[in-house]
Amino acid sequence: MRIDKRRLYHLDWFLICNGLALFGIGILNLVSATSSFYSGSYNFIIKQLAAFLVGLVIIAIILRFDYRVITYQSKWLYWSALFLIVLVLVVGMIAGGARRWINIFGISLQPSEFMKPVLVVFLANILYQKKKENMVLGLKGIAGPILWTLIPFFLIVKQPDLGTGIIILFTSLIMLWFVGLKKSTYAILGCVGVAASFIVWKILLKPYQKMRIFSFINIDADPSGFGYHAKQAMIAVGSGKFLGKGYMAGTQHKLQFIPEHHTDFIFTVFGEEWGFVGSIIFFILFISFIYRGIKVAMNAHDELGSIIAFGMTTIIYLQFTINVLMAMHLAPVVGIPLPFVSYGGSSLLSVLASVGFLLNISMRRYMF
Amino acid sequence: MKQQAAPIMKYKWCKLVLIITMVVLSLRLWDLQIMRGTEMRRLSEQNRIRVKKVIAPRGVILDTQGRVLADTRPSFNLYITPEDITDFSQTVDGLAKLLDIDREDILDKLKTASGFPPSFPVKIKSDVTKDELAKVEVNRVYLPGVSIQIEPKRNYPYGKMMAHMLGYVSEINGDELKTKEYKDYSPGDYIGKYGLERKYEAFLRGVDGEKRVEVDAMGREVRTLDIVEPTAGNNLHLNVNLDTQQIVENEFEGKKGGAVILDPKTGSVIALVSRPAFDPNKFASGITKKDWSAISMDPSHPLQNRATQGRYPPGSTFKMVAALKALELGIVNKHTSYNCRGGFPFGKRVFKCWKKGGHGSVGVHRGIVESCDVYFYNVGLKLGVDRIHEMADAIGLGKQTGIDLPGEKKGVVPSTEWKMKTFKEPWYEGETVSVSIGQGAVWLTPIHLVQLSAFVANEGVTFKPQIVRKIISPEGKTVKMFEPVMETNVRLKKDVFRIVKEGMKGVVNEPGGTAYSNRVQNINMSGKTGTAQASSTGKGDHAWFIAYAPAEDPTVSMSILVEMGGHGGSQSAPVAKAVAENIFKVNEASSPREANLNENR
Repeated sequence: MRIDKRRLYHLDWFLICNGLALFGIGILNLVSATSSFYSGSYNFIIKQLAAFLVGLVIIAIILRFDYRVITYQSKWLYWSALFLIVLVLVVGMIAGGARRWINIFGISLQPSEFMKPVLVVFLANILYQKKKENMVLGLKGIAGPILWTLIPFFLIVKQPDLGTGIIILFTSLIMLWFVGLKKSTYAILGCVGVAASFIVWKILLKPYQKMRIFSFINIDADPSGFGYHAKQAMIAVGSGKFLGKGYMAGTQHKLQFIPEHHTDFIFTVFGEEWGFVGSIIFFILFISFIYRGIKVAMNAHDELGSIIAFGMTTIIYLQFTINVLMAMHLAPVVGIPLPFVSYGGSSLLSVLASVGFLLNISMRRYMF
Repeated sequence: MKQQAAPIMKYKWCKLVLIITMVVLSLRLWDLQIMRGTEMRRLSEQNRIRVKKVIAPRGVILDTQGRVLADTRPSFNLYITPEDITDFSQTVDGLAKLLDIDREDILDKLKTASGFPPSFPVKIKSDVTKDELAKVEVNRVYLPGVSIQIEPKRNYPYGKMMAHMLGYVSEINGDELKTKEYKDYSPGDYIGKYGLERKYEAFLRGVDGEKRVEVDAMGREVRTLDIVEPTAGNNLHLNVNLDTQQIVENEFEGKKGGAVILDPKTGSVIALVSRPAFDPNKFASGITKKDWSAISMDPSHPLQNRATQGRYPPGSTFKMVAALKALELGIVNKHTSYNCRGGFPFGKRVFKCWKKGGHGSVGVHRGIVESCDVYFYNVGLKLGVDRIHEMADAIGLGKQTGIDLPGEKKGVVPSTEWKMKTFKEPWYEGETVSVSIGQGAVWLTPIHLVQLSAFVANEGVTFKPQIVRKIISPEGKTVKMFEPVMETNVRLKKDVFRIVKEGMKGVVNEPGGTAYSNRVQNINMSGKTGTAQASSTGKGDHAWFIAYAPAEDPTVSMSILVEMGGHGGSQSAPVAKAVAENIFKVNEASSPREANLNENR
């Protein structure tokens, strides 16, 4: 089956250009961020570009099939992703105290990243089926989606990868909100949420994760640990002032005051070097990308497309917002990559897959 | 027909959320980058920029020929910057274990610097070895806050030689830091604590520079932003001649005592020796507690400069003082003679002459040449202690000579007044008998006696002994020139000096002279031996020899003391002989070629 030429014409070029701009900025920023590494800084760039090319292939594959066709097969995707996550817990590589990666032919993958778009498609399918029968979902209606969310959530938090876990959980909750629930269900969900957060705090969170949250509340509580990092990140961003220190001229990250400045704290590099003006432009690019994603959902051919597009956009929105707030010390330090910008192949592939679905849905919006 | 899939209301919420998000992010950005940007910029600078002191090399000390006696060499010093320590016990214990330093020592050092900002690096160990350096570098990751700096370290290429003259430098201590004198210093600085190093501290110390360096989160230097170069200290050019010094040092090998060689015409100190000595290099690397107690508790007192601080009875060398005064006053003349039978009965006891059989009839010349005690007992009694004191005082023996070394001791030259003041007792004539031959209450240092020798050699004129000739800045400009400073100018009758000088010449050059065996080829050395009872210990006599040469036109004065050495003639005079031979190069001059050259001049 070949792609209809009209579909190509209907590709969302705005979304593509916006995404490319973000990725381009990301690569330039990564060059600066990794320039301080004593060796192999080109390695990071090459790997990132390679992941991007793989991502383009994945987009092409996604575009080739109607999103509805993919959706019907989504349970296979879901179980495959879940299998990989379980595999991580069994044979995963340990790095930085966490077991998040598996090594396949010398390439390390982070399956929790793949779970993000997969879960969106999987849940969208379930929710769409339910919505076709019943317009407003009750407790019974959401039990399944919640269960299918919590299984990977707990497995991922156990790695531990609190950041990805949070993204998955919040994304599916927001998707539930999007399709609409009974008012009583919202109330019950709220109560359960409060109760669950106590349990999570007591049982699930590791001491260092609690420390992060403490240090968020009081930045000086842990001056040598996470508080220190949060403070250094804040100083880096703040020291950018109006116009920034200039490209490649940031000092905080180069001198390694900020850990993970090429991954989770990547925004500190951008904020330091480009200042207020650059950062605002950067925010506008992101917000417009997200807005475009919402538009795709609005203009989708059917409700299924809307739910998928909305879910994918939610992932990107949450990651962007939490990541940037974290760098500016308005959110606790949790490991969440900045879409398009953070170094990391799995993360980039996951984001590009989301973009693939958005394009797929927008391309097929005039289908009859 | 296209259907509207999801409730339109939700999209309105989405737009609202996006607007709120944009507003929140922008406001926070505005707060951090615009409102607090300047402060954050300052914090980021502070974070990465460290001001490091670049220690100025201390001035070099050179001998009269420009040979280096003290200089600086690079030393690897280990520092801890308290601010950069993330885990206190990890860094301190890790370092203590790695380099085998006492943990308490490290804590002490950190405590000394506790008044300084935490970004101030505290020196923990000086002069770490290459092995230790490697260990630290390998374990750098586990030792945040630890850094190595290359700094100039004092180096004394000749070790123990000249230790008392050069002195030593050592780390400034907490008490010194509190004094006004050292208000410009900071912990870890090295200061001159002894000898020339101390005396000329203000000149030798340079002006430290400053280096602004960028450091990473581990405190590692990434690059240097700018540097204010240090200014090296000024160089001391000494009057000391390394060759002469070396000869005296060699002669003193295995002996205790002190010696001063100077030019009587200027006061320039050519050599100054004190034994036993210490190695000043040990102090420069931060002396260990063990080494320090070994040196400071040593019963032979290696830290005492015997040449300027060791007071001994001068023995027969002091006879010159009595002779000068007696001749000046006409109490004796060259014809006055006394009969020596080996003893001098006075009161209830008999004061012995060193020569048991006696010297027979002795005049002033033979009295000096053969050092007849009985002759000087008579002279002394006739003079009385106060007139001996008067002469000694005029020569400057009762005070400090003013040599440019710290801690010089005054001499003790008794008088009736002195005794009354000190002991509230009258003077007994019997004491005068002892004093006239340099025993009893007379206590002088080798440097006092070199002045006595110079006094005779110069016929009444002495100059302040000076070790340093000039101070030259690193750029070669003369900072200070030390011109000869006249100390005494005593006019005595011409004959007085002629008689005394002939006597001293005879000591070395006439058969029967007490130093006859030490006469020097081709040159007339004049001298006076002394064998002083070390009354308090009784372990043996101190051997003295004072001398000047050439007898006709003296350019060298010497004073040599060998503690518990025995006879001056056999122990100390050979040192003077060796020095004279070297200075006047008599051995070389006697070789045909050299002799020829000299004749042609």
